[in-house]
Amino acid sequence: MTSLDPAPNKTWDLSLYELQRKPQEIITDSTEIAVSPRSLHSELMCPICLDMLKKTMTTKECLHRFCSDCIVTALRSGNKECPTCRKKLVSKRSLRADPNFDLLISKIYPSREEYEALQEKVMAKFNQTQSQQALVNSINEGIKLQSQNRPQRFRTKGSCGGSGGGGGGGGGAGRSSANQLQVHDTASNDSNSNTNSIDRDNRDPGNSGASATSANTSASTVAVTPSTTSGASTSANRMHVDDASNPPSVRSTPSPVPSNSSSSKPKRAMSVLTSERSEESESDSQMDCRTEGDSNIDTEGEGIGELGINDEIELVFKPHPTEMSADNQLIRALKENCVRYIKTTANATVDHLSKYLAMRLTLDLGADLPEACRLLNFCIYVAPQPQQLVILNGNQTLHQVNDKFWKVNKPMEMYYSWKKT
Amino acid sequence: MAQNISPEQSGGAGGSSKHTDDSLPVKDNHAVSKRLHKELMNLMMANEKGISAFPDGENIFKWVGTLEGPRNTVYANQTYRLSLDFPNSYPYAAPVVKFLTPCFHPNVDLQGAICLDILKDKWSALYDVRTILLSIQSLLGEPNNESPLNAQAAMMWHDQKEYKKYLDAFYEKHKDT
Repeated sequence: MTSLDPAPNKTWDLSLYELQRKPQEIITDSTEIAVSPRSLHSELMCPICLDMLKKTMTTKECLHRFCSDCIVTALRSGNKECPTCRKKLVSKRSLRADPNFDLLISKIYPSREEYEALQEKVMAKFNQTQSQQALVNSINEGIKLQSQNRPQRFRTKGSCGGSGGGGGGGGGAGRSSANQLQVHDTASNDSNSNTNSIDRDNRDPGNSGASATSANTSASTVAVTPSTTSGASTSANRMHVDDASNPPSVRSTPSPVPSNSSSSKPKRAMSVLTSERSEESESDSQMDCRTEGDSNIDTEGEGIGELGINDEIELVFKPHPTEMSADNQLIRALKENCVRYIKTTANATVDHLSKYLAMRLTLDLGADLPEACRLLNFCIYVAPQPQQLVILNGNQTLHQVNDKFWKVNKPMEMYYSWKKT
Repeated sequence: MAQNISPEQSGGAGGSSKHTDDSLPVKDNHAVSKRLHKELMNLMMANEKGISAFPDGENIFKWVGTLEGPRNTVYANQTYRLSLDFPNSYPYAAPVVKFLTPCFHPNVDLQGAICLDILKDKWSALYDVRTILLSIQSLLGEPNNESPLNAQAAMMWHDQKEYKKYLDAFYEKHKDT
């Protein structure tokens, strides 16, 4: 060592710590020490190529390790100093091979080829999912499918049940559809704890084929690794550890950049959707303001929107089959406008609804409205079974009505007829 | 050992990149993209506060990073976008890093070029996207006024109140860009 020392006059002072410390005892019994994959990985990794050390070289003075190829290239192309701590490295002679460390690595990873092949595989999968274009495409695709499927789901019963099967075993897809059902049935609050992204990604069958599966693949890719390697740490394992501690959905947005777009884009799409659906709520009456405001809130928490039946209720409003038949003056004037789809807060009462209806119809008809029908009052009915109409008390909330008469997972069907006063 | 790199070819601290590129076969190019992919993966796992970066399109050698102005400085509550161009000799040579968002700062010129030693002669193969962005972030709050690229900013720096006022007007002017 001294013969190679570039500065012969240099004194080697031991620090206080170095003077005090004792060598570590060698473990000779069967004591096992657990090392986390992450810390093991950082020990065995070359900080230049971020790969596992290959033909380890150690700097003689500062004892930092690198792959032979990496440190040689670094010294050739850069400053003559240790890349880790900037200690002067005059030449290759300031390094020495570290075969013991190579042996150590080969003990932990007996088959380096296997490990490298796996690494390549993980990277290839990762590349597919990280590609921004692919991500944006899958998001757009998802939005498109969502907007196609969404209105149908309001009107057809059980379409969300189908989505579970369509998700094809993706754990997330199955689970979220389960939640969906649960929420519709029991109006439980649990669904609100779901992150939006889970809901958004897995909500409809088509979309789970796009962005949701990309999330799933990235998660499952990772999970494959540890089961095939001999268990200890690799960067892949490290990924696995991370993923295990976090729900895969968190990983489905690979970086802040796309995550922004994924959170804002669906929102925008949904507001378009909402305005389509709530075409009757153009905020020209008080009640309107409220429905529209509420549907906007719904778009904010998009994933919860229709699930949160505890907050909102959807209804189909039809004219009373007998009292408001086709030859009725009002129905004639309304034509196809007589059936209405409404989404409003669950704590609105039946009275609210009838006022809203009166206001709305008046506005729709404008001058066409027969004089006799102005300021009309409505009776509201609900039909728990076809042909069986139950008249509703004005101060019941929609939530109560829904609980008492409706219960099923589809927009509540209500009927109106005007009050003969 | 890869001994096919002659000393004069690989000399010059990541400068003369033409030479370095010639001497790096395709296989090494793969090594570069591999390292960049690993960095990307680590960045995504780490979820570092205040900085982010992602490849700009399909080319893994061009990234766009964002960083938030450090708290308790005049740059607080500002978000800056930067471009990072990686040479084929990365990580042995530094990437070219530029501000995309206009930045009024003693060590940043109006074209967005940054004067930072670790991106020039103090580069080390151990630096990566994360450390670069963190370094630039801390440079914002602690400029080196000895070697300014923007002399006006360097002169104004001592009066932080005035500086902040000027900065706000500057943002207002460059709002569209």
